[in-house]
Amino acid sequence: MRNSLLIAAREWKERISSRSFILFSFIGPISVLAITFLLFTYGGESKSNWKVVIADPEGLLDDKIMANEDNSIQYSFVNSYVEIEEFRDAKMYQKFDALLEVNGKVLSNKTAYVFYREKPSVDMQTKIQYHYERRLEEIMVDEFTDLSLIDFRKIKQPLNVSFRDVYDPEDTSSDLRGWVGFFFGIVIFIFIFLFGMTILRSVTREKSNRIVEVLLASVKPRELLVGKLIGIGLAAILQFLIWILIIGIGLYLMRELIFPDMLDAANLSAQQLAIEGGGLIQENLNNASGSNQFIELVYERIQFGNMITFFILFFIAGYFFYGALFAALGSTMGSESDGQQFVIPLIVVLFLSLYAGYYSLYFPENGLSQLFHYLPFTSPVVVMVKLSQGYDLGHAYEIYVSLIVLMLSAILMLLLASRLYKNGILQFGHRLRLKHLLKWLKKS
Amino acid sequence: MLEIKNINKSFYRKEALRDVSFRVNEGEVFGLLGPNGAGKSTLIRIINRIIEQDSGSIRIKGDLMTENDLRKIGYLPEERGLYRSMTVENHALFLARLKGLSKKDASTKINYWFDKFEMNDWRKKRIEELSKGMAQKIQFVCAVLHEPSILILDEPFSGFDPVNVELIKQTLLEFKLAGKTIILSTHNMKSVEEICDRAALINNSELIASGSISELREAKKNGIYAVRFKGNMISFVNALWTGFEIIDKDVLGDDRFEVRVKMRNDSSFEDLLKVLIGEVKIEAAWEVLPSMQDVFIDLVQPVKILDDEK
Repeated sequence: MRNSLLIAAREWKERISSRSFILFSFIGPISVLAITFLLFTYGGESKSNWKVVIADPEGLLDDKIMANEDNSIQYSFVNSYVEIEEFRDAKMYQKFDALLEVNGKVLSNKTAYVFYREKPSVDMQTKIQYHYERRLEEIMVDEFTDLSLIDFRKIKQPLNVSFRDVYDPEDTSSDLRGWVGFFFGIVIFIFIFLFGMTILRSVTREKSNRIVEVLLASVKPRELLVGKLIGIGLAAILQFLIWILIIGIGLYLMRELIFPDMLDAANLSAQQLAIEGGGLIQENLNNASGSNQFIELVYERIQFGNMITFFILFFIAGYFFYGALFAALGSTMGSESDGQQFVIPLIVVLFLSLYAGYYSLYFPENGLSQLFHYLPFTSPVVVMVKLSQGYDLGHAYEIYVSLIVLMLSAILMLLLASRLYKNGILQFGHRLRLKHLLKWLKKS
Repeated sequence: MLEIKNINKSFYRKEALRDVSFRVNEGEVFGLLGPNGAGKSTLIRIINRIIEQDSGSIRIKGDLMTENDLRKIGYLPEERGLYRSMTVENHALFLARLKGLSKKDASTKINYWFDKFEMNDWRKKRIEELSKGMAQKIQFVCAVLHEPSILILDEPFSGFDPVNVELIKQTLLEFKLAGKTIILSTHNMKSVEEICDRAALINNSELIASGSISELREAKKNGIYAVRFKGNMISFVNALWTGFEIIDKDVLGDDRFEVRVKMRNDSSFEDLLKVLIGEVKIEAAWEVLPSMQDVFIDLVQPVKILDDEK
């Protein structure tokens, strides 16, 4: 064990002093923060205040549109036709973002057009549609019915069918949270992939520059393998901790300094609006207020403590599982460039784990998702998705079962890999073939 | 000290070592000789427990060798490498600690060897900044840092300039005086003659000869004698007549010559001296032993010819 620790210490020092490690430690989390910042800033609305000109030649709307004015949209009326070209080019219309055409037939064909200069966000589209529709309702009620507007709206109320999981009737989990899990899964994938390749390169380099022969005169191949995995793995964990620290501080600063009032209910105008409205539009508005939901998600709904704990556990087990495979492959290569064809299937398997995570996001209860959840090749990513979606009541043990399966598989993989490593590490100059792998695997 | 007994090793169908046995005595420099691919490196790896023999045993001072004995061995492989991005000092420290030295001991030893080999200026340099010769020196130092009682060196002189070759030779002789056992695998037969006490020759996976250097040379002597004399070369040739054959001659000047003569029929050294006395003035005469180079070629070549005929 002493030798493994010495090997690990050397690998650790080499990794953390390498330029790529330092770069990735900072560029990685800063990129994540930058993406988060962009999502916070532009995720919901491309432009927050719109000026809309309503061309109403027949005076259908009577120059009225919304009883309670919405600060984010300013309507102006023109009681004549406005050609699209005119709106597009005429100087007087340049201050408007969109043109809403009111056609006399709208009451019967229920079709309207809005011409914009810059595509409005879903939120903005919903608002304009909502305002216009409400005004038309008033006119229709007045013209075609004897009902009061309130009664009409009671009747008009569309049926709101919400599909709920029988095991999660409160709908505490959500797709968006699943995506967060998938994000964690991707991080696991990136870390395992990057550090797996580091192991592979480190092993082939030791082999090609023949230092391995000096080492093997002092340590057993298994000690060398384990030391290498531990050293590089610790560097990976250090890097991950740097990521958490930078992202954590970044998110905190963003909340305190850049978006101090984003969580303030007074600013949730779209949602406020939705409270007044009903049915589908409310649903749409809820969906449309993506930026707010995202902020709420990041700051309030993700259980970071849980996620990070299991992330680290699954990362460690998954790392040993895949790392042993990468090391075994590196040790069996005849030269540094040889055996690339054997790396490709391994990468394909790693990508399969990403796909499995994506699949579980959409079909969480599917049998295949269950299989992916326990399969050691895919479980590190899938468990992250599942964890963020939330385990059903009484099924929390599943995550531990998956973790134990992964750990046992990692141990088994280490045993197999060290056999390949031992038999392959001193073979030079051959062209790696499957028969070599099988031979070395059989040999004790 | 080190006893190799009936070692067999095959790599799948290819036999690398067949029933190899020999003994290396304490405090001697032992040459492990043989052409490329003979099985020397395989044997060395087996001694270092890098690979396992199929059968046979290795004993150190009578006891079967164990994992712990590896710390008694210093090994310099033929194809040796270093971590290019490490500094010289850290590299030496790392390898010394793998051999069981504490950090403090390792540092003391490093100071001693870096002084001795004048390597202090490179301490903080990365390996990749060094020349090949410098790297070779570091590899040698790393192999001896933990003061092993057995030193196994595979082609230790390759890559060194003549000054450093001499430095390594002197160091090996110091080790020998200190009672350490040295196994030297080399193709440099001159250095075998200079520093080895005994040697074993492996060819085609088998041990084909072993013994002291003089025994090996003695065994291959072919009745050639050298005579240094003053006088007339024609008188010398006439005196020899039919019982002897002149192989070659060196003109030393001043009517002095050194001639190598091969005995014919049953002629003896005494016969040679008898016919020459009175004809030329003999200054010296001695039996010429074959060089290790000759011994090596003589032992390896016939087998090769037989192989070719097959």
